[in-house]
Amino acid sequence: MPTPQLFSAKLADKLTLSHKFIQLFFELVTPNYLEFTAGQYISIAVHPDGHRRAYSICSSPGKSHGFELLVEIFPNGMGSEFLNTLQFGDEITFLAPLGTFTVAPEIKDQPVTFVATGSGIAPFRSMILDQLQQQGRTLPITSYWGLRHSEDLFWQDEFQQLADEYPQFHFHPVLSQPGAEWPLCTGRVTDCLFVHELTPAAQYYLCGSSAMIEDTTRLLTERGVEKELIHREKFY
Amino acid sequence: MNSVRPPQSPLTAKSASSPGVPIKPVVQERFIGKYHVEVIREKCISAGSCVALAPKVFELDEEGLARVISQDGNDDEMKLLAAQSCPTAAIIVTNTETGEQVWPR
Repeated sequence: MPTPQLFSAKLADKLTLSHKFIQLFFELVTPNYLEFTAGQYISIAVHPDGHRRAYSICSSPGKSHGFELLVEIFPNGMGSEFLNTLQFGDEITFLAPLGTFTVAPEIKDQPVTFVATGSGIAPFRSMILDQLQQQGRTLPITSYWGLRHSEDLFWQDEFQQLADEYPQFHFHPVLSQPGAEWPLCTGRVTDCLFVHELTPAAQYYLCGSSAMIEDTTRLLTERGVEKELIHREKFY
Repeated sequence: MNSVRPPQSPLTAKSASSPGVPIKPVVQERFIGKYHVEVIREKCISAGSCVALAPKVFELDEEGLARVISQDGNDDEMKLLAAQSCPTAAIIVTNTETGEQVWPR
């Protein structure tokens, strides 16, 4: 993987995805090319006293002159407050690329299953776009994504379009407190995983709350998945 | 000896190096700074950013947790950046000349 270096980028666009998630689009300034692997993160300087915050890149590595971030807004959160108040054209500095939570090239011949809660979907969006559009993966990619309410959902149309276009991609949004008309998985992601047939010999990637990661790891191992096949991103 | 600059505004930061200038860690044989780093093992989550930024100072052990292998493999700026990049603030940086804890603040 490339050695991390210091970058600057300016805010080019901002989308409000839901009441607590925004998507930020940055264009690189210097250097103007970022080579990264899907699933890696960047470390952004968010405060003059040196505090940094880590954010997974949620865009495809195929987009190398810019990148996108998914930001969950926390009241008084140092990172989200800094990013949420950026104006168009404002510059940030960051270290990148960082992290090893990636789909290794050598598992190209194995199915992959992504399990996320909340903003933990960010690295998986990058991986899904990369695997489908750049790597040409034809083996199954299954994605479980847990949120609380139906109004929390975003990117659902995008993922559904990918599922329509790529039959090897399966997308399962899971809501813990859905409205009465929610037709899909209800409960926690582990409830959905519990009733679904697991893809044989799949590699599992988990990103989200520590409780979800622990519960999912336990469920998968109880269902016979070897620990070596379970990968976890822990900084969420 | 490499100079040590205080952290600056994120919007104007020039610490460690300017954007575009590779920050590939500098390896030196002798003690090159005044910062002492320590890993709080219980807080480490194996993110590995410290190893990526200062590979001559940190490594991941057999359990995947960070540990210090040298105090003088990378310069003070890289050691401070590595500590500031740790998502759980598991790295303590101390100025050996003043005794002051530089990071976390």
